[in-house]
Amino acid sequence: MSRLFSKKVLLLLTTCYILVYIMLLNKSILSIKNLTKTYGKKSSAFAALKGVSLDINKGESIAIIGKSGSGKSTLMHILALLDKPTSGSVEIDGVDSNQLSNKELNRLRNRRFGFVFQQFFMNANDTVLNNVILPLKIGGVAIRERKKRAMEALKAVELDDKAKNKAIDLSGGQKQRVCIARALVNNPKVIFADEPTGNLDSATGAAIEDLLFNLNKEKGITLIVVTHDAELAERCQRQLHIKDGQIIAPNADILKKGARV
Amino acid sequence: MKLIDIIKSANSNLLRNKGRTFLTILAIFIGSFTIIATSGIRTGVNNYIDTQMESAGGEGYIEIMPKALQEIMQSMMSFGSSAPTEYNPETNSTEMTVISEEDLEKIRQIPGIQSVKGARNIEAEYITSAKTDKKYLISPQALPSDRITIDIAEGRMIDIGGSAPEIILQPGYAEVLGYQSDADIVGETIELAVTEQATMQVQLVEVKVVGVLNKSIINMGRSWVNVAAETEILDVLYAHMPESYRNMVMFATAEWDSSLGDEGLEKIKDDLDALGFTGMTFEDQVGMIKSFFDAIILVFTIFGGIALLAASIGIINTLFMAVQERTREIGLMKAMGLGRGKIFLMFSVEAVALGFWGSAIGVGVAYLAKLIINPVAADTFLKDLPGFNLMEFDISMILILVAVVMAIAFLAGTLPARRAAKKDPIEALRYE
Ligand SMILES: Nc1ncnc2c1ncn2[C@@H]1O[C@H](COP(=O)(O)OP(=O)(O)OP(=O)(O)O)[C@@H](O)[C@H]1O
Ligand SMILES: [Mg+2]
Repeated sequence: MSRLFSKKVLLLLTTCYILVYIMLLNKSILSIKNLTKTYGKKSSAFAALKGVSLDINKGESIAIIGKSGSGKSTLMHILALLDKPTSGSVEIDGVDSNQLSNKELNRLRNRRFGFVFQQFFMNANDTVLNNVILPLKIGGVAIRERKKRAMEALKAVELDDKAKNKAIDLSGGQKQRVCIARALVNNPKVIFADEPTGNLDSATGAAIEDLLFNLNKEKGITLIVVTHDAELAERCQRQLHIKDGQIIAPNADILKKGARV
Repeated sequence: MKLIDIIKSANSNLLRNKGRTFLTILAIFIGSFTIIATSGIRTGVNNYIDTQMESAGGEGYIEIMPKALQEIMQSMMSFGSSAPTEYNPETNSTEMTVISEEDLEKIRQIPGIQSVKGARNIEAEYITSAKTDKKYLISPQALPSDRITIDIAEGRMIDIGGSAPEIILQPGYAEVLGYQSDADIVGETIELAVTEQATMQVQLVEVKVVGVLNKSIINMGRSWVNVAAETEILDVLYAHMPESYRNMVMFATAEWDSSLGDEGLEKIKDDLDALGFTGMTFEDQVGMIKSFFDAIILVFTIFGGIALLAASIGIINTLFMAVQERTREIGLMKAMGLGRGKIFLMFSVEAVALGFWGSAIGVGVAYLAKLIINPVAADTFLKDLPGFNLMEFDISMILILVAVVMAIAFLAGTLPARRAAKKDPIEALRYE
């Protein structure tokens, strides 16, 4: 080995690694350091996260896996700026989220994040179209524009023919596709999915996964998936194992990943 | 989120649970309708009184009565509920309840008073005419001043100081006394039956009809006679009795110099008060009638207000239920970047919309009620009062009511709206 790598080559490689490392640093869209989250106070205090650090790169797909109660959702909520950590920092595009006002946080979530949940969370009695429109409505997009964009998003999940149907009348898989359309309608940078296939059979689940990974590949949307499903986790570029509020077996080996890129 | 979208979604959210929304609106409607309808009646009554004031009434005269008499009348109105009052010769003697010749003279001396005439107590048993055997009740009264404008439908004003006895009749007498019409009776002579108080013998006094009045509530059913007719009636009434009986006066009418204005009037009233009398202008009397109606209206308005209070509790309840039901939706919208303020606004707008629809329907139904009730009332219990529209609305009143109800609804909505705004998105999403 040592013969194979002359000093020159070693130097070159190291420089390369450092360059890639710096590039990747710049590319990180979400970055957390020493994150802790404690619920409750004093005797009933419970540490759901005990010092988690993590960098997520633009266009990456990450699976957060672990046992029930290990802190996966908690981590995701903090990453999605829905929740505030007890200590530690969350940086988004290099900006410390603590520096942002509530208004800016809301704006940021509205413009850059999309959400997909296990239980869908739709307005059951509203039309499919109106459900997809909701984030645009919240963002204050004009009526015409938002209709157009919602139809495009529905087309992307192949449900444009169901636009006028009531959300309640759809099948589970269709509902989740509508949710994906809703998550994608504002051209987000990151989609957070908490157990997106948890309520679906494996075939339907696989279709939803295909949809999510397509978006990841074609549009470069960063995908952060919380899941129990080992197969889904395998399809992600990176797996984050969480146990008792800590990341174990950190295969977040940036250099290795960088080499793959 | 844009305001128009917030308003639209608030309205469509109200339609999600139609039954509940309907019942809440119904409660607001009942309160609003009560207030609008009663205030409509108040406006109707006031407008009528005001138009009556234009045709009747007049300026420049004051009606005077002894304060002691007014107190007696007031204590009668309190239905004996007050405790017995100790006798005080200074204020309670019979002498104090009448206006003597000297009193009239003192009143005449008050600066600003131009003339005073005591109202003698004249009574007629009945009225009849040569054309009929029938007898009808009548209450004649001497017109104390020609400053009192009276609303004459037919004929002319009496000549107060004229030598021939004259009368202006209440409407309706012409036909029953055997004449074709009001125009027909004008110029004819009718007979007033007057009973001698001492002997109980009935004598007929001939009086010439010079005019017929319009219908009015302000006139209180009186037919006006001039001094000549009054004198003839008094001659019969108090025949064989001491002069002092005939001169007994409880009320007087004074003419005052109206160029002195309101301040001058106040001064005159103060002077009257110092002499032991109260003076009331026509406007004061109308004011009393109005305040009597206002008191009734106030009671209904309070009922309406209580109904609105109950309705606003209904709004609070309805919206708390809505917030509970839509917990997840609120969480979702917050996750998607909808701010607290906007969520607060959304539920507030829902409350305000409930208030708006409740009061708007109240206004609409009150308007329909007006369209139905006014003609019915005009044909039945207001038949004798032409031009009296029972209900009348003025637009500012309606706008104020709608605005106030919406404001109340907004206040009621702040409690649930605050709860919605404060919801933590994660907990809301976890909510089963
Ligand atoms: N609001 C809260 N108050 C107290 N404890 C909480 C709260 N939210 C979460 N926890 C606790 O924090 C721990 C982590 O919860 P979290 O929801 O992140 O688990 P998870 O890994 O997503 O589990 P699952 O796979 O079942 O969804 C759990 O033990 C949970 O009981
Ligand atoms: Mg979870």
